[in-house]
Amino acid sequence: MLMPATEPAVVSPYYLGLRNRERLMRLLAYGLLILAIVIVFFPLAWMGTVSVRPNLEVTKMPPDWVPEVFTLEPYAKIFSSPRYLVVFANTMIISLVVTALSLVLGATAAYALARFRFAGQRAVLMFLITTQMFPLVLLCIPYFRIFITFGLYDTRTALVIVYLTFTLPFCILMLRSYFLNIPRDIEEAAMVDGCSRLGAIFRTLVPMSYPAFIGAGLYTFLLAWNEFLFAVVLIESWGNRVLTMAIYSLMAEFVTEWNMMMAFSVLASLPLVVAFIFLQKYMVQGMTAGALTS
Amino acid sequence: MPSFRNRFHDEILAYSFLWPSLLILVALLIYPLGEVIRLSFYDSNLQRETWVGLGNYAALMDDPLFWQAFGQTVVFTAASVALHLVIGLGLALLLNMQLNETFRSLARGLLIVPWLLAPTVAGMIWVLMLAPFGVFNGLLARLGFIDINFATSWLGDPATALGSVTAMNVWRAFPFFMVMLLAGLQAIPKHLYEAADIDGASGLQKFWHITLPQLRGVITTIVLLDSIWTFRAFDPVFVMTGGGPAHSSEVLATVIYFDGFQKLRFGYASAEAMVMFIVLFVVSAIYVRRTMSKEH
Repeated sequence: MLMPATEPAVVSPYYLGLRNRERLMRLLAYGLLILAIVIVFFPLAWMGTVSVRPNLEVTKMPPDWVPEVFTLEPYAKIFSSPRYLVVFANTMIISLVVTALSLVLGATAAYALARFRFAGQRAVLMFLITTQMFPLVLLCIPYFRIFITFGLYDTRTALVIVYLTFTLPFCILMLRSYFLNIPRDIEEAAMVDGCSRLGAIFRTLVPMSYPAFIGAGLYTFLLAWNEFLFAVVLIESWGNRVLTMAIYSLMAEFVTEWNMMMAFSVLASLPLVVAFIFLQKYMVQGMTAGALTS
Repeated sequence: MPSFRNRFHDEILAYSFLWPSLLILVALLIYPLGEVIRLSFYDSNLQRETWVGLGNYAALMDDPLFWQAFGQTVVFTAASVALHLVIGLGLALLLNMQLNETFRSLARGLLIVPWLLAPTVAGMIWVLMLAPFGVFNGLLARLGFIDINFATSWLGDPATALGSVTAMNVWRAFPFFMVMLLAGLQAIPKHLYEAADIDGASGLQKFWHITLPQLRGVITTIVLLDSIWTFRAFDPVFVMTGGGPAHSSEVLATVIYFDGFQKLRFGYASAEAMVMFIVLFVVSAIYVRRTMSKEH
């Protein structure tokens, strides 16, 4: 690069030079990001330390940063009680069934929207986008009555059905936008080679869009796993409870066992965090797709 | 001449793939919506129904609690969305700097974690932290801001309850903005900045004249989405304060829930839900128009 002819003779002592200034900025960025991580992780760390101390110690004032007595009793209590374990099993079953149903139904509908032009296509798309904006509390009122009428009140089936209201549109929209980016020639070539339409879909389109299936599946699983409102309205007996509700009802008990509740919270968050560690890329895709697809 | 089957070939095929999903969604969304509209004209405890015409809506107009909750929902939404945007943008800008690749993806991964938590779980952690004996008071006492013997109950004081719920909500949901804005930043063409560098633009100038305008689309989308999601949010308030103390943190979703499922005034709750639906519908319409115009 050419130097300007009139170079300043005296360089201000405050002028660090471009390179040093950039280095300083970068150092500042590292510092700020580490600070942000510490602040963001503080509540999570607190959840962890409270889950391994006796409940008496939790209400001590001022609180100890590190537990005085370390105990795994809250975890032992959860793992030894069928009453609590059934809640984990329920949440897992419901979330897995919802995810499977959303992906299968979602992929079929997404295929229609991505591969055909048909009357009413725009209306269907608009409907799908709007469904994601529905106030869910509005739906609770009619659901409550409908499920009582059909004898589905207080069943896990009811939760599976209602969770589809928000997971299915998401899966359709995300898979559709992924399918649109896969050239249809590939399927047509497979059909020329003697595949049926369904055969072509399963041999080309489905395997090629596995990242979308993983992303949409993970996000769906997360939504179902974390849902609370419908569970509160539609489930009554403990045997059909899900995690979010069980944790909440621990607070309402006579003496709040904070250590138990935090142990529960750790265990409830763990599957999602572990899945996230291994599948971060797909999960972020699912997360961004929620807003950018459609 | 094309036969009927040929002309409608695509239609028949498309709907043969679509109908299961459409059937489920219409049954689960359109029919219940109709039911709520109908109920909003009745006085109903779900067993006995009496027609009251616009009675529920008239009563709603004079219900100070409903309008208080409405106002608080707007405040809660506006504060949450604004803070999500500021924090999310700040962190996205930091993450977009020339950093070590491993550090960048590690930092991004760690900062996303709160977003994985259920609002219920996140709410519980904060209830514990904000309790009079909680670690937040402990921290303030250690720093000398408060006397340990007069520790505040952050969720039990009408002046701080809604703010505390907002703080939790900001902590849990900022990662969504961070991730979206980082993706947006990475999509800005590098040559725009190079051109600005040649013209001698300062960092702030580049931010105002390149970064922000380039991010406008993403920002509008996520602000609209987050506004809708926060406006209808139920879990954070219900779990942390139950709308109290003295309704100081009540939002629309909790008011509707309590009127319906505690006071068993389902007709009235339906009318309230309709008001909420109309507000959300207007915002959604803006969002849908934006996304549909990108469509073709």
